[in-house]
Amino acid sequence: MKSYRKALLLIVIFLIVLIPFASTFPDGLERVAESLGIAEPEPLWPGLMSDYAFPGINNPYVSVLAAGVIGVFLVFSISYVVGYVSTRKHKQTNE
Amino acid sequence: MHIPDGFLTPAICIIMYIISAVFLVWSWKRIKENYPRSFVPLIAVSSAFIFAAQMLNFPIAYGTSGHLVGGTLLAVLLGPHAAILSMTIVLMIQAIFFADGGIFTFGANVFNMAVIGGLSFYILKIISSGAKSQKHVWMGVFVASWLSVVLGSLACALQIGVSPMFASAGGILMTVPSMLFWHTIIGIGEAAITTSLISQLQRLQPTVLNGLAILRREVL
Repeated sequence: MKSYRKALLLIVIFLIVLIPFASTFPDGLERVAESLGIAEPEPLWPGLMSDYAFPGINNPYVSVLAAGVIGVFLVFSISYVVGYVSTRKHKQTNE
Repeated sequence: MHIPDGFLTPAICIIMYIISAVFLVWSWKRIKENYPRSFVPLIAVSSAFIFAAQMLNFPIAYGTSGHLVGGTLLAVLLGPHAAILSMTIVLMIQAIFFADGGIFTFGANVFNMAVIGGLSFYILKIISSGAKSQKHVWMGVFVASWLSVVLGSLACALQIGVSPMFASAGGILMTVPSMLFWHTIIGIGEAAITTSLISQLQRLQPTVLNGLAILRREVL
């Protein structure tokens, strides 16, 4: 488990360092929609932290970082639970 | 490449939900049969990394950006089945918490990124079967990860192209060439990042990939 704590820490550091360099240009699909004159419709579900911005934080860097860190831990925890439920309890017998 | 709600017609949403569900059930069954519980932390850490990496867009050209999708990266780390499951969880969190990718379009997004990403494992397998050198395998990783993005964008282009919103703007005759144009370039970023991450991992932590090699024989 210890090595995974380290891995999570590395992922957080990775975000701390790289978020300022992330591009805000539209991605491939957004660009295609834009060039065809199609506006993105209002989302049916606004999400809790839309556009990776933690609500209530004015500093964009801190806001994105907070949303990112929360997301990382959410994805980690849910993957852990789903992984736990979906895998076998015992090791394969031929090992 | 995350399709927002509104871009797809309901029929396509339903069809893509069904197709993705079939792949998810298949993955779940294969994981249950073949994956030991000791594999769980690697699944969780890999998903977390992919989530973080997908937040970081890199500029490509003409004011457009792309980001690592990571399907092939997951497939190499976890095998095709756990890769599909892992990416589906990433997409689910993105849709629910960050409104990145729609709720109705979730099935399509799972197909375009998780299913195609996971299945790129077999592309890699075909390319690198009988590989005599490490270089040959890395080349396979490069090609497979590039293809995973290009094929994903092709699927996305077809889905949006037949939906009314884009049909009136030219349909698939417009969406396919333009999606392929951008994702051919974005795919090079994907391939470069995937290949360098995997080769670095092999150099620094060979045990992670060795563990997979054993699993790979079990799974396939």
